[in-house]
Amino acid sequence: MRRLVGTVLRKEVYDHVRDRRTLGSALLFPLLGPLVFLVMFNVMASWYRQDRPLEMPVVGREHAPSLMAFLERYGAKLSEAPQDYEALVQAGKLDVVLVVPDDYAQDFAEGRTAAVRLIVDSSRNKARQSVQRAQRMLAVYSQQTGSQRLFARGVSPELAMPVRIDELDLSTPEKTAATVLTTIPLFLVMAAFAGGMQLASDTMAGERERGSLEPLLLNPAPRGAVVAGKWLATCAMAATGVLLCLVGYFLVVKRVPLEDLGVRARFDAPAALGMLAAVLPLVLAASAVQMWVSTYARSFKEAQTYLSLLMVLPTLPGMMLALSPIQTQTWMFAVPVLGQEMLAAEVMRGETLGPVPFLLALLSCLVVAAVALRFTTRLLSQERIIFGRS
Amino acid sequence: MIEARNLHKQFGKVTAVEDVTFTAEDGVITGLLGPNGAGKTTTLRMLYTLIRPDSGTATVDGVDVAKDPEKARRALGVLPDARGLYPRLTAREHARYFGELHGLSGPTLDARVEELVELLDMKDIADRRTEGFSQGERVKVALARALVHGPRNVLLDEPTNGLDVMATRSVRALLRKLKAQGCCVVFSSHVMQEVAALCDRIVVVARGRVVADGTADALRASTGKDSLEEAFVSVIGSEQGLRE
Repeated sequence: MRRLVGTVLRKEVYDHVRDRRTLGSALLFPLLGPLVFLVMFNVMASWYRQDRPLEMPVVGREHAPSLMAFLERYGAKLSEAPQDYEALVQAGKLDVVLVVPDDYAQDFAEGRTAAVRLIVDSSRNKARQSVQRAQRMLAVYSQQTGSQRLFARGVSPELAMPVRIDELDLSTPEKTAATVLTTIPLFLVMAAFAGGMQLASDTMAGERERGSLEPLLLNPAPRGAVVAGKWLATCAMAATGVLLCLVGYFLVVKRVPLEDLGVRARFDAPAALGMLAAVLPLVLAASAVQMWVSTYARSFKEAQTYLSLLMVLPTLPGMMLALSPIQTQTWMFAVPVLGQEMLAAEVMRGETLGPVPFLLALLSCLVVAAVALRFTTRLLSQERIIFGRS
Repeated sequence: MIEARNLHKQFGKVTAVEDVTFTAEDGVITGLLGPNGAGKTTTLRMLYTLIRPDSGTATVDGVDVAKDPEKARRALGVLPDARGLYPRLTAREHARYFGELHGLSGPTLDARVEELVELLDMKDIADRRTEGFSQGERVKVALARALVHGPRNVLLDEPTNGLDVMATRSVRALLRKLKAQGCCVVFSSHVMQEVAALCDRIVVVARGRVVADGTADALRASTGKDSLEEAFVSVIGSEQGLRE
């Protein structure tokens, strides 16, 4: 029996490794998640990047020592402006230049409004971030100094500020980044389905459509051995997909400026192993169900349609959780797909779970796989399945 | 040796096989001759265990196909109606895969596959992927995988269907070789010339029943017709389904 399973497994693997379509879907789809992730994070990080010091060349630093000290304290990197700074700003070589006129010191000392000039090119989007930061810093300095002056004269600064705007930005970069991070478990689970999908539809529905199922079943090998071999081949492909997906994320997360976004996610080697332990058992169940569906389908096309619908399954728990957030409860780990997504998410959050949730998830997958394989084997003794229905 | 006793099979309201009884001896080529839809394929499928008869029994070398299908399959080599190949495997890999599924391995399997490549004259196609093979080449591969375990009983469903003259001749030559080795060979056909050219015994099937059973000469004698074709028409009672 075990040798026969091995024979079928070996044949299916080398048959499908020669098939570009199977390989393409098994290997490329899982990399989609990491790729999307890489692009999104880089875009987001470039939006929100704050830790980079503001580079600001200054003309006439000596006229405003207290302003310069303030700017440097708030993270600006000041430098002597080159002669042709206007041309450089226009050419986009410099984002912003601060000019302190000669009469600044006198105006400032005498309590008049002292003018400084920001040289900017507002048509350049890239420079906008720097310009806004420079403006904000200058505004803060102006306001602080103004308040001090009022205070010194015994006037409450609040009189000069009838309205204050407090902004509460709900779309913090941390939050957005965290949302993107939740796609990791989802894509891992989807890889478990996508990896074996082609092979599953080809190995049963395709086998019948080609007219090779009848000859195959003419062998004395038990149906169970044939099903098991094909199932293991599907599992192998799906597991490869999950592994690739995880390795992809692993490489990408290292390259992504997570800290810039203030996100703390655990994605080191132990976490990766934990996620693997969470998601790999699903491969057994997903592949078995795919085999069953593929055996039942009337044609290769029909099998592919059903299996594509099956791929939607992993997105359902995510949607459900988004609509009505529920408290994590232990039994949920025993629901295939939901359990895997929750486990992977918890591992990524750095939670220590203990072995029980993992065992529950594994057990439920084994049960689903066993049931689906049994049904598949039984289907293979039915005449209408062997010879096809029309 | 293959024996069929009162085989009966119904699909829904349609009776595919009413009552088929015949015996195919070792060292003899038995032809199942009948018009399209007479029940030949269903009869063969019952013999090769993929369809369970509603009633009646069939044995292969004394093994009941319904009670011990795996053992019966071991003793059978079958070229079924569906002879699909794996387009990404070579001809040799097909034979090896089926050999392994029959429990062969190592040097035994190598030798057997080599023997079949020789026997079926497929040296030049043995290591090519079967994608794009001609009908004749495809049948050779299907025959190689059907015979890889050296079965004593060989069932073929319309083996020469769709083949050109040369390929038909090589299939005939193969069947004669199997006969010479003492195999029990049963094949079905709706082409009379085919059956006349090969068979030692003809079992004529029409509307799910055996309507005549004997040698070509006996068939002619019993119907009083000179030509086999006339005799055939006479026993099945109509000309329907005779011509291709």
